[in-house]
Amino acid sequence: MKQFTYAITDPIGIHARPAGMLAQLAKSFADSAVTLTKGDQTVKATQLMKLMNLGVKAGDEVTIGVEGGDEDAAIAALEAFFKENL
Amino acid sequence: MALDYRKCAEEIASLIGGGENVVSAAHCATRLRLVIADNDKVQTEKLEEVEGVQGLFESNGQLQLIIGTGTVNKVYDEFLAVTGASAATKEDVKAAAASQMPIWKKMLKSLGDVFVPILPAIVASGLMMGLVEFLGKAIPAFNDSAWFQFLDTVSNTAFTFLPALVAISAARVFGGNLFLGAVIGMLMIHPGLVNAWNIADGYDTWALFGSLKIFGWQVFSIPAHGYQGHVIPVIIAVWLMSQLEKWLHKHVPETFDLFVVPLTTVLCTAFITLTIIGPVFALVETWILAFAKWLITVGYGVGAFLMGAIYPVTVVFGLHHMYNIIEAGMLGETGLNIWMPVASAANFAQFGACLAVAVKTHKQKTRAVALPSSLSASLGITEPAIFGINFRFMKPFVCGMIGGAVGAFFASIYGTLTGNTLGATAYGVTGIPGFLTINHPLVYTVELLIAAGVAFALTFVVWKEDAPSKKEKKAAEEMAAQAPQTEAPIITCEAGSINAPVKGSAVNYTEIPDPTFASGILGTGVGINPVGETVFAPYDGTISSVADSKHAIGITGAGEMELLIHVGVDTVEMNGDGFECLVQTGDEVKAGQPLLKFDRAKIAAAGHPDMVVVLLTNADDYESVEIHPEAEQEGDAVAAAAEAPALA
Repeated sequence: MKQFTYAITDPIGIHARPAGMLAQLAKSFADSAVTLTKGDQTVKATQLMKLMNLGVKAGDEVTIGVEGGDEDAAIAALEAFFKENL
Repeated sequence: MALDYRKCAEEIASLIGGGENVVSAAHCATRLRLVIADNDKVQTEKLEEVEGVQGLFESNGQLQLIIGTGTVNKVYDEFLAVTGASAATKEDVKAAAASQMPIWKKMLKSLGDVFVPILPAIVASGLMMGLVEFLGKAIPAFNDSAWFQFLDTVSNTAFTFLPALVAISAARVFGGNLFLGAVIGMLMIHPGLVNAWNIADGYDTWALFGSLKIFGWQVFSIPAHGYQGHVIPVIIAVWLMSQLEKWLHKHVPETFDLFVVPLTTVLCTAFITLTIIGPVFALVETWILAFAKWLITVGYGVGAFLMGAIYPVTVVFGLHHMYNIIEAGMLGETGLNIWMPVASAANFAQFGACLAVAVKTHKQKTRAVALPSSLSASLGITEPAIFGINFRFMKPFVCGMIGGAVGAFFASIYGTLTGNTLGATAYGVTGIPGFLTINHPLVYTVELLIAAGVAFALTFVVWKEDAPSKKEKKAAEEMAAQAPQTEAPIITCEAGSINAPVKGSAVNYTEIPDPTFASGILGTGVGINPVGETVFAPYDGTISSVADSKHAIGITGAGEMELLIHVGVDTVEMNGDGFECLVQTGDEVKAGQPLLKFDRAKIAAAGHPDMVVVLLTNADDYESVEIHPEAEQEGDAVAAAAEAPALA
């Protein structure tokens, strides 16, 4: 299990498009389960609707967790994704 | 010991750097949620020691203080007062709108609000009373039976104690304590006071300040009689009580609240009610009674006409119970009660007006009240009809007044012309039971028919169901015009089929003018160039998400279908402006139900495409997903037509 915490800087937060991109990225690591936690809610990053439902906005802190065979690669890719897009 | 909310709020305020350091304040069931400008000024450790604060933590940029259920709202109120922060809620806006109403409308609304909850009681009593009185007159032997005694007692209970019922309901409407309200209502019919209907037999006066007089008015003396059957003085008294109570609650420290507030409230209200409100009304009533007694003797039908018109007004004030004095007087002098036909015309006209409402209304709820109320009115007990329907809507009441006037005028003029004066040989019943005591049943029949007929016809023409329902109808029509076709689905998969959520012309998702949507990352589906401005539920399901910016809705349907309906491209940047969401997360919706409204002009003004993106986000979970953009193509011509004026 690897994880990192990220404070969202994108003013709009995780809306439809970044959620879709995140979900797709999460799906690409077939051997690992990617989760996203905001407050006391944790969702699978592959579930687009649930991601959007979190209503993550600028200033929110989210924790991304990865567990599975390719978790090292996944966590690196996800960190890069968040820094670039969110 | 109860928590001193004020102290708690003040301590919190001082430990977070004062009111100027608060960006916003809100509360949930247990926590006070504060957004702080400068977190360095917050003395976290000391905050935890404040009495009433059970814990605190920071989350989502909020400082959250755990205070507890039932307490947090009070601390919150005090906190707002201490810091000067303001909380504008939807309710505030609504209340502000209500305060814009003209005063007479507000009063009428209050009266309606007071009466509607107690209608079952007075409808039951009214019907029973009418029937019992009818039987009593029809079968003289019944009058002496145990059954009559029993039924009479049961049926008049609600009317005997009407002020208590009204007071409780009024306390609820005006935000006072229900039980204190009940005390005020019951005080006005206290058995220790002479019954209002026996005032003629005399009553004591309690001179609280001896014989002190100002301009001939004996200062604060209490006429020791009750206010049975009264409505308006009770409502005024309870309104006063509620204001007083609320004011005291605000200004008396919590520790002394139970000692001080109820006692002061009841005592002050009782004092004012029995020395001023009650007597003023009693005085006005005496005048009206004297006036009515004189008016009825005015010839050529004029007196009857006027009395027939104002009779229901006197019912509103509870005066009609005293007309027995007039009737008894007439019977004693001439052996003929000419008051009764006038009262009957007035009552029967209210029946007609109420019946017209029952026939014309489209609302099941209104009809359910109007039908039994009108029946009760036909038996001579008009309170349910007047307070439950006619007076609330006002127009039927006025139509009833006109009907009563015309009916009474006919009877009077007929008597003048033919010498056959219509009258009763007893008193106490009107309407249909009146047939048992009337001297010319045929003339009486015509009188009642005229009264009810005029009232019915006028009401039927003049009265219209509330204006909002018209608006609703118009809105519904507009909504229907915007509805997409539902014959053929635009997306199908093995879990079910999905209708177009918006009217317009659909394209394959790959043609959506946005690379992310077009790439299929978010799912498979269609884009619709809308002609309507309303999104409808594409299937029965549950709203799984509503974007804060109100431009996108997620809806879960059968077989875990997750549909995203995203209005416009990049419209998240509009922050909700131009969008109105009609549902909330967790709502169950039915196919075809309106979910969201959007303003195409505003989307265009913001420089975004207004294409409605409809994507099955978990399309990967299904084996066969088919999209049919050709199914929703009705809008093209309409779209061109609709856009043309927008360009001009």
